[in-house]
Order: sequence, then structure tokens, then C-alpha cells
Amino acid sequence: MIFLLVSLFILTTSSLLIFLFCQSRKISARLFLWSLVAACGFGLLSAGSVLCQKTMVGPLTSVDFQVPVHLPLGEFYIGIDPLSAFFLLLLFIVSLAAGIYGYGYLRDYSGPRNVGVHLALFHLLTIVMVLVLVAKNAVLFLAAWELMTVVSYFLITFTNDNEQVRKAGYIYLIATHVGVFCLAFMFLVMGAQAGSMNFDRMTMTPFPLGLSALLFMLAFVGFGIKAGFIPFHVWLPHAHPAAPSYISALLSGVLIKIGIYGLMRVMVIVKDFPLWCPVGLLIMAAISGVGGVLYALGQHEIKKLLAYHSIENIGIIALGLGIGMIGHAYHQDTVALLGITAALLHTFNHAIFKGLLFLSAGSVIRSTHTGDMEHMGGLLKRLPWTGHLFLIGSLSICALPLFNGFISEWLVFRSLLEGVFHLDIFGIIFSILGIVALALIGGLAALCFAKAFGVIFLGHNRSSEGHDYKECDLTMRGPMVLLAVICLWVGLFPTTMVDYAFQAAQVLTGVPMPLALKVAIMNPLLLATRVLSYGIIIFVILALLRRFLMRHYLVHLTETWGCGYTKPSSRMQYTASSFAKPILKIFRSVLFFKVEAVRPKGYFPTEGKLSSSVKDVSEIFFFRPLFFVIKKFSRKLKWIQSGHTQIYILYILFLLVILLVWKLH
Amino acid sequence: MNVLLLHLAILFVFPPLLLGSIGKTKAFFAGRIGPPLLQPYYDILKLMQKASVYSVTTNWIFRAAPMVSLAAVVSAGILMPVAGVKPPVQFGGDLILFVYLLALARFVIVLAALDTGSSFEGMGASREATFGCLSEITVFLNLTILALLSRSLSLSEIFLGGLSSSWLQVGPVLILVVVSFFLVLLVENSRIPIDDPETHLELTMIHEVMVLDHSGVDLAYILYGKAVKLFLFGTMLVSMMMTFRTQDLWVDTIFFFFEMIGFAILIGVVESTMARLRLNKVSFLLFSAFIFSIFGFIVILVRGAHP
Repeated sequence: MIFLLVSLFILTTSSLLIFLFCQSRKISARLFLWSLVAACGFGLLSAGSVLCQKTMVGPLTSVDFQVPVHLPLGEFYIGIDPLSAFFLLLLFIVSLAAGIYGYGYLRDYSGPRNVGVHLALFHLLTIVMVLVLVAKNAVLFLAAWELMTVVSYFLITFTNDNEQVRKAGYIYLIATHVGVFCLAFMFLVMGAQAGSMNFDRMTMTPFPLGLSALLFMLAFVGFGIKAGFIPFHVWLPHAHPAAPSYISALLSGVLIKIGIYGLMRVMVIVKDFPLWCPVGLLIMAAISGVGGVLYALGQHEIKKLLAYHSIENIGIIALGLGIGMIGHAYHQDTVALLGITAALLHTFNHAIFKGLLFLSAGSVIRSTHTGDMEHMGGLLKRLPWTGHLFLIGSLSICALPLFNGFISEWLVFRSLLEGVFHLDIFGIIFSILGIVALALIGGLAALCFAKAFGVIFLGHNRSSEGHDYKECDLTMRGPMVLLAVICLWVGLFPTTMVDYAFQAAQVLTGVPMPLALKVAIMNPLLLATRVLSYGIIIFVILALLRRFLMRHYLVHLTETWGCGYTKPSSRMQYTASSFAKPILKIFRSVLFFKVEAVRPKGYFPTEGKLSSSVKDVSEIFFFRPLFFVIKKFSRKLKWIQSGHTQIYILYILFLLVILLVWKLH
Repeated sequence: MNVLLLHLAILFVFPPLLLGSIGKTKAFFAGRIGPPLLQPYYDILKLMQKASVYSVTTNWIFRAAPMVSLAAVVSAGILMPVAGVKPPVQFGGDLILFVYLLALARFVIVLAALDTGSSFEGMGASREATFGCLSEITVFLNLTILALLSRSLSLSEIFLGGLSSSWLQVGPVLILVVVSFFLVLLVENSRIPIDDPETHLELTMIHEVMVLDHSGVDLAYILYGKAVKLFLFGTMLVSMMMTFRTQDLWVDTIFFFFEMIGFAILIGVVESTMARLRLNKVSFLLFSAFIFSIFGFIVILVRGAHP
């Protein structure tokens, strides 16, 4: 605990100092960098010390810290249990990487905004995210949650001289405030039932099944908006492209994971739900996963594509969580523990590889000055570091063996298969649904990243202008290398992280992990890594054989075989849209996939155009009409809003009088 | 040790013979003598002795992809029981690793195709990736059914005796699975009616057009990897259908040998008697394979063959 307090102290004081020195860019940036490194170091120590405890940690035991000052309603009461510690781990890793990258990214920033203030806000965001993760009091949680939303809004709209960015920030603000409303309501219901806003007291309170279903729905909407479940995901594809890349990495890596954390925390508090709640979660997870990756396939803007992939990965996480909860409802501890462990591990892995992907996408955008994939190509030669790091991220997100995504998807699959084995017919049907969804997600994700990596980094450059592409420098490369190393480390030596995820999963299920189950999970992972090492040996043998066979030949270089066509141009390559078209056509009935063409006319056609796009169904058919109606009604209430402060004070007076009268009766 | 060597020997030596047998069958239907049975071996050896030509557009990915792909397919083979012989490594959940290794093999070849910057190869890559990701679902679903029937999550336990009693209890389910699996097998290995390995027009190809630019050793690796993949899928199909074992290693191996030749002839017959499907009809074929295995599930759930 002491480490975390030190870390929070460093962050708070340094953010104040940065704010004071924000006029001098050099001082504030230096201050930012070193305080970030120190704070994240202490933070990682605190998370690690909790996760490394060998003694069995029950759901209620945690390392606590309480300030004895009682404010009205709430108190400053924080504590780290393994669940919080697990999320703190990924928070500090991604914050560290994104922060250092941001430091490098902003070094030659020459826009109108004050960099110092921006960096201070970055620190502030880290602080409030830590507070959300460790809060043990509902009021503190809500306050930190609200601050998190506001601070991240300012970070997203860093370049707010752009119309698009302002709009994205606005959508984000509205969407998350709908969430806050649900959460406040949820915590009030919980608090009323428990008679206290303290999480410990709430955990000990039994909730009747009807009430817990209501709480689950509120939590699902409230936290689901943050996490980005379809159909609440609309803010994600707007906010990510608008924000600077390191902020996107933080948003996608950590912020949306805090939505998952919230959902898990509610499960710790409420414990027993009626069966349809986890089943509903599983169905929503399948929709989010498949929908997210299908939308991603239709995107040509790199950061938008990555944003939709975040939705897909939230779907995978929730698949694990859903099957775990179903197992819990059936009292099948194997399924429950496995599913939740898988969800937690995928949360961690996604934070790492999505952070890596957003950061490397940022380097691409920085040197090409565009996010449109159709204008890229052949960048692997120009930006070798960025390219190879993006490749590692892509292989991880496609869950291909050797990389970390595989380990967690393997666990999700394993938990779904255990669900098929251990549950009754109802449970089996939904496990199968999960398996189908996950298999489809896996295949489509591989397709999508073959497209993204292939179109951006391979082939010829499609851009007509000759750029002098600049590779990113050490401060930007370093954090990406760090994340890439973690991807490989978890992929090749998964035991440590799986162990941590087990620790955290025990908090959710409330039952200790039986040793037999632990062995039954760890052994296959070790054997799988052994198979992979065989694969590497085979690869080396093949490479040596190839070298031996080719020892007498000179390598002959020539143009790509054009199938008889002698004058190919780089514009004739397969583009991102053409690559994704076959699959989008197959799914066109659910996707709103539109191709607009202006056909060339006459013998000497002058004009011809073809463009394809995928529109977001829930945005166009659900939220736009909804907000149109809301706007129409709220216009009628406009007369209340006069804009004079005095009148608002009058309203408050009225309200107080009404409350007084109500209380006196 | 003996058994391990036998497993690896079959895995390494046998696969190209399947291609040869398919070729012979097709030649028989066409009334030709056809190339010798061992022609694929000669082809691979010949290619290994040739120099390679590389495009200036390509990166290291293009050169590494055939090796990575072959290594991934062979590692998948390490998990697969062959001829009643236990694989060197087995564990609960290895079927997931098996499918993902095959996915890795496909992924790198797709990247290599995009690396050339040729529109034709991009086209092939796009089609292969599309059909690949659709067939992956059905492969998973079929493996899940088999896992449920044999109460095991390991390929070796599923295919070595796990299914022997299932034919008597839930025969219809296994028939559905076999049909569905056969359709997926045709797609995964780019055989007629999905893809014609011997077509001459780049526009109509799927797999072949992806590897247009590869030559020499690289092409040999790709050809060989394709044969191993066909062999693995064939092994699965044959093990599903022929669950009878004599427990004698050598007799079983010889049986297996004939079963696989039979499988190759079956593929040859399908290729000789059917025309290629139009490209946009391939997805329907995949959906029907998917629906077959869903039916299989429904039968299991109705029959109550699950625990």
C-alpha cells in the first residue's frame, strides 16, 4: 500500500508542479517524464507485491488505507485486493509506455495548445484511474469515475481546433454521462440495501435475485458504455481517431478496461445473479466481438480500425467473463475460475498489444500525415522499427501462437469447452454459441490484420506524393519495444501472468483455486510452449537447409511478376477495400455495406468513381433517431434555461423549500 | 522412441504421395496414364535444386513465410495421432493449438502474397483469407462435437479410440460431422470444387495465385507444406471414419496407409466428376458445412449423448 501512496503522491505533486511550470515547455516535459517513470515504478511495485503474496487471499482481505476524516456520504477509503492489483499492473505499464511516447511525440509539437497543461492532465488521468481501481467507497468511486471522464475528455480534444475532434469529444462526453447516471443509480440502490456506501459492507449484504438482476442491468449499461459493448460503442470509433495516439493507447488499453473492472467489481459485491444475466452478457459479448471485427474490416482509417478492434476484444473478454459467470451460477468452479481467469488475462494482453498497435499507428500517422490506409503501402522499408513493432502487435491481436493473444484466447476457448463438458443442455447451447463466435472472431481478426499490415507496410507505396518518411526516435521507440517484449514474454513464458490472473479470479469466484485445476491449466500451457519450441527448431532447420541449398546461387532480384502485364502502377495493387470486399459481401445483410459507383459513360469516359463504406448500424438507426427525438423534446424545455445565474439559484432555493416541506411531513 | 520415430517418419515422408495418388486417379478418369505416382517428390526435389528469383518490392517476410508456414504445419502435425501412433506431445486443449498453428501458416503466406505488391496475389490472398476464416468456424465446431463425444480435449485421445463406441450410439451425428468436415477439407486444401490447383488463369485461382512469385526452395517448401496440410486433414477424416484398431502397431500402420490412399482416391474422384463452383457460391458451401455440424449438435443434444 505504501508504494501506491508514494506513487500517488509523486503524481499529485508533479502534476501540480507541471501545471505551475507549464509556461516553460522544457521544464514541464522533463518533470513529466521523470515523475511518470518514478510513479509507475512504485505503482508496479505495489501491484506486484499484492499479486505475489503466496498466502491465500480471500475476497475480503485486501491491503487497505483509510483517511479518518468523514466527509458527508463518503470517506477516503482505498484498498488493493488482487483484482485491483491486476488492473493496476496493466494501468501502470500502459501509462508508462504511453506517457514516454507522448513525451517524444510532443517534443516537436508546434500547435497552439499548451503542452504543459496537457501533460499535467495526463498525470491527473493516471491518478483518477488509480483511484477508481482502488476505491472501496461508492462515493469515492463515483467521484473518481466522473473526474476520469472529464479529464479524458480534455485529453481527447487536445487538437480541438479541428471540427471533427470537437464532435468526437462531445459524443464521448454525452455517452459516458449516460453511463454515470446508471452507475449513480446502481450504487444508490446498493447503498440503500446495505445501509452504507462502503464496498466491504455491500459485499457482506445479501441481495435478493430480482434486485441483483436490476443491478446487473444498470452495471451493464453504465460500465458497458465505458467498455464499449455494442450497441453502446458509438463513442469509441469517434474518440480514438480524434485523440493523439498515445491517448488512444491509454483509452483503449486502460480506460475501457476500467469498464470491465467495474463490471467485475459489481460481481464481487453482488455475487449471485439469476441465470439470464450471465447468459445475456455472453450473447452481448458474442455480438460485440463479431460486430466489432466486422466493422473493423470495413474501415480504411487505421485508428478507426483499431478502435473497432477494441470493441471486438471487449467481446472476447466478456465471453470469458460470461461463461465464467454461467459456471458460477451452475456451481461449476472449474468453468467459473477458468472463464474469469481467461477474461482477466485477455484484459491484460489486450491492453499491451492494443497499446503497442496504437502507438505504432501513431508513428505511421506522424510520418505519413494521414490515417487513410489507402494512401499507404510499402512502409516497412521506410519505417522498419514501426513496421516490425506493428507486425508483433498484429500477430498478438490475431492470437497466433508464440504471442500473448494466443494464450488468453486459448484459455477462453478452454473455458468454453469446459462449459460444454460440465453444464447442462442450456449451458451447452450457450457455450457452443461462444465457441462459434470466438472461432469467427479469430478468423476475421486474422483477415483484418492481414489487411491492415499488408496494405500499410507491404507492397508499393500508393501515395502519389513523395514523402521523406521520418522514423520515430528513441523516446517513441522505447515504449513500443517494451510493450512488444511483454507480448512475446507472455506468449512464450505464460506461467507468471496466468498465475496473477488466477489470483485475481479467486476474488471474483470467492473460492480458492484447487491445486489440481491449476496444474491442469498450467501443464497444457507448458506443453504448448514446448510444441512451439519444436516449431522454432523446425524453422531453424528449414532455414539452414534453404541456405545450404542456395549456397551456389546468387540471389536474383527483379520486378514482381505481373502476369504478363508489363506496366503495373502502384495504384493497381489490391487496396484495403478490395481486400475486405469478399467477406463484407458475405455479411452485407447485417452490415449495411454500401458500394457507390459512378460508372464511366460513353466511348471516352472522363469520370468514374467507386467507393465502398460500412456504416455503423447502431449509430445510424438507433442513436441518431433517439437523439433527434430527445433534442425535439428538450427544445420545449428551453424556457427553463435562461442563462442567468440568479435564476438558477432561485431554482435551488425552490428545490430546498420543497425538500424541507417533504421532510417535515 | 521407436513409435516416435515412426510417427515423424510417416509425417515427413508420406504426404506428397497423396498428391501423386490424386493425380493418378484424375488421370485414370481422363483416360490418360498420368504422371508417375512419385511425381510430387520429384517436383519437390527438383525445385530444391533451383535458384530463386525475388522481387525488389519484397521484404524478408516474403522469404521467411514459406519456412514459417511449413514449420507451423509440421508442428501441428506433431500433435496429430497418425496411424494409431500416439503423437510425441499431447495435452488437454491441443486441438485449439492445432487450429491456430494452421491459421498461423495461412496468415504468413497471405502476408507474403501482399508483400509482392501484385494485384493478382493480393486478390488470391483476399480470397484465401476470406474462405479460411469461414472454414475455421466449422473446423472448430466439428472438433468440439468430437471432443464432446469422446469426453476429451486432446486430439490423440479423440482420434485414438475415443470415438469407437460413438458410431454405435450416435452414428448419425458422426455422419453429419464427416460430411461437414469433408466439405471444409476441400476448402482448406483448395481442391475442386472450390479451387482448381491446375487452372491456368490467374483471375480464377485462389491458393495458386498467392504463391505466383515464389520459386526454388521457397516454392518447394510451400508445395510440401500444402501436402502435409492435406495429409493432416485426411488423417483426421480417416480416423473419424475408421475407428477400428487391431492394437498391433505394424498392422495398424499398413491399414492406415491403405485408408489414406483410399482418401486420396476419393478426392481424385470428386475432382474428376465435379466442375468448379463459381467464386461467390463457395461461401454457400461453407455455410452448408457449418449447418451440417450444427445439425450434428442438435442431434447430440436431443439424443442426450452429452453427460
